[in-house]
Amino acid sequence: MEKGSKEKLKIGIYELTGCAGDALLILDCEKELIDMFKAADIQSFLMAKSDNIDGELDVALVEGSVSTEREKEELLDIRKRAKTVVAIGICACFGGIQAAFLDKKDWEKNFKKVYGDKKMTHTKPLQSKPIDAYIKVDYYLPGCPIGKEQFLSTFNRILRGHPPELYRFSVCVECKWNENDCLLNKGIPCLGPITRAGCGSICINHNLPCVGCWGPVEEANLTSEFHLLREKGFDYDFIKKKMANFSGTGMADFLGELKGEKK
Amino acid sequence: MKKISVDHLARVEGNGGISATIDGKIVTDVKFSIYEGPRLVEMLTLGKTPEEDVNIVPRICAICSISHKYAALRAMENALSVKVPAKVSLFRELMHLGEMIESHSLHIYYLALPDYVGFPNVIAMAAKFDLEVKIALEMKEFANHIMKTASGRYIHGENPVIGGFGKFPSKEELIWIKSRAIHFMPFVLKTVSLFCELDYPDCPEEDTVFACCNPDQNKYGIAGDEIILSTGEAINKEDYKSLTNEFVVSHSYAKHSRYKGEPYSVGALARVNNLGEKLKGEAGKMYKKYFNPRWKKNPLFNNAAQALEILYAFERIPKIIDKMRQLPAPAIVLYKKKDGKGTGIVEAPRGLLIHSYEISGGLISYTDIITPTAQNAEDIERYCYIAAQKLLDKGKESKIRDRMDLVVRAYDPCISCSAHMAEIKKAPLDDWRTKLDGIIKKGLPIFVGIGRGNRSDDRAGLELALELRKQGVTDVWLESEIIEVEAPWKNKPHRPLVFIDALDFKEKPGKMILLPLHYIFSNTVLSHKLLPFISSDMGYERLKNSFVLGIQPESIEEGMKISEPVRQALEKVLKQIMN
Repeated sequence: MEKGSKEKLKIGIYELTGCAGDALLILDCEKELIDMFKAADIQSFLMAKSDNIDGELDVALVEGSVSTEREKEELLDIRKRAKTVVAIGICACFGGIQAAFLDKKDWEKNFKKVYGDKKMTHTKPLQSKPIDAYIKVDYYLPGCPIGKEQFLSTFNRILRGHPPELYRFSVCVECKWNENDCLLNKGIPCLGPITRAGCGSICINHNLPCVGCWGPVEEANLTSEFHLLREKGFDYDFIKKKMANFSGTGMADFLGELKGEKK
Repeated sequence: MKKISVDHLARVEGNGGISATIDGKIVTDVKFSIYEGPRLVEMLTLGKTPEEDVNIVPRICAICSISHKYAALRAMENALSVKVPAKVSLFRELMHLGEMIESHSLHIYYLALPDYVGFPNVIAMAAKFDLEVKIALEMKEFANHIMKTASGRYIHGENPVIGGFGKFPSKEELIWIKSRAIHFMPFVLKTVSLFCELDYPDCPEEDTVFACCNPDQNKYGIAGDEIILSTGEAINKEDYKSLTNEFVVSHSYAKHSRYKGEPYSVGALARVNNLGEKLKGEAGKMYKKYFNPRWKKNPLFNNAAQALEILYAFERIPKIIDKMRQLPAPAIVLYKKKDGKGTGIVEAPRGLLIHSYEISGGLISYTDIITPTAQNAEDIERYCYIAAQKLLDKGKESKIRDRMDLVVRAYDPCISCSAHMAEIKKAPLDDWRTKLDGIIKKGLPIFVGIGRGNRSDDRAGLELALELRKQGVTDVWLESEIIEVEAPWKNKPHRPLVFIDALDFKEKPGKMILLPLHYIFSNTVLSHKLLPFISSDMGYERLKNSFVLGIQPESIEEGMKISEPVRQALEKVLKQIMN
């Protein structure tokens, strides 16, 4: 028998600054979408529905980085209302591509180049940051965008009151499962060893190197990857930029330390 | 003063809002605000390799990620003189059509249709429209499958690269896609009938300019190297800035665009309006059956145009696959060039998308990306303004909110596309001469001179009015002579009304600008002196035919002397009017 809506978990799906790819991925769960709406009480999901309510929540799924004052306030409000907050996608987890300007002055300079001195009246801009720069995050679901399988399994486990079980190893593991030849061995700059698994090593399956779009895996050996690429003959700046493209704040400490290192 | 606003637009992609400010019987301001934060994506690409750019830029937007990738690839390949084999072009077209079907079906069924049948979302709608929802889900899933096959995954796949693809699909895969596309046809035809026969409200309805890519070989298509306009003009892709003329507005992190000073529209409706005659097969038949002149005026028909394009895509897919199967899978084309400049244009589902780059020493030194929603923003505001003012004129204020919501959603805005760089430009300066001639052609204008006689250049409007009178022009008035109840424009809605005033629009002294009167409200920098003249019975018809001719003053300090640049400007205007 189907549970009444009062007994269902109240869930809100929110989008901050990003490409909205994680919300879209949820809509892309075509066949499971109706079941999701049946199994949980989806209180807010702007992309999918117009009768949204901002009330108490059991779980808030938050996509995107915090990039305006308005988003910061919205996020603080979500945290107050929700028992559990899950960051979905690399923008929420690490700040995403737009968090690559790690230095505040650097960001300000670039902001000015784009928008000039025009005063923004609708909401104040903020340097893009992951959501845990402002609130406590309970779980992180990485991806660019998140993967369907991992999302559905996380959603299911949360509905049953269990913490999500995510891959805690790098893309290389999935790549071996898929029996691909190692691109690094061929001298192609692949970020598989330091990137979080879950995508199914999709790029390497297509004979293309991993670009690192899921962000760094826990305890990634960044130094080793860096030296490996140096040994393969890649330029210092090239490697640094490549590692910074998608990692946002995820490799900030490492990239910061590199500054001092001799080229 | 009151404000009607939709703070969080639902069932659109990204974070945005629309608001209308109403003062008595006048809509004084309409703003399409984008709350999506600034991402500075173009700046992020600087100093990166062309390959890295192609990885990064699709992240601007999930739903148009393939269009972004495709536009970037076309631009890079132009810059680096890479010519791709036919099979690569065909496979790219297939992935692009997959995105078109996915995005359009998501929009018309999930996001737009609930409005027309009275449900808050697609899931609730399923109870009554079981078959429609099922078609939508199946169609979207199929389109996602095509994108996954071509690009590697549903969203942000990396298989398409400069010079080709990492991997081509198997013969079995292609045959499966082809047969599935053919099996889908009855449902696709049903989709077209459904959305072409919806009862679209006739407000707002007004002409605009439509812009889209001109596809090669004189066929319908969704990519090309030239932009064509509904006015018959054509613009080479490298000259795209003459179309877009971007400028920053203070209520959005997406820049706005105007062509020759006027808003324009891009998207499925622009494509069908500009290229519909070239549709063949079932799509051609459906076009002949349903197309009518309202499509050229009413943005709500974008829903119908998207349905028609889904049909176009389903008919095109089997043909592409037949051609692809005859060709061997080519290796990625390598290149040696390290410097170059290139622009790539494609039609994203919601309209013209432009990527332009400069590469120096193998690294990107300049990036400009112009997205469809940024181009549509001005027309979205204009149509919402028209809808709001017309409904207000008819005493239907309570309908304004929902109608604006409907208009915004019809444009299928993709609010995530709020990236931007390029140097800052001021609002485009209209060619006031052509515009003034255009106004005079419509009918002899009523002129009103505005200003303060003892404030140097602020006298300009008054001076000009007096001079016009001296030259024998009739129906010329001074600010002080206007009595609200018997305003000279009362009962003359078809005579154009032109206010002449010194306006500070931050330009060189003596520069001139001609604006529709209602823009004065939304450009707070300009003037508030005109507000008292907008009497409360000025309805939509009157406002539509009212303008402001502004002259940039040098000084408005106390004094009787008009500065030299403003004096020269006055002479120019006088000459123009007397001619």
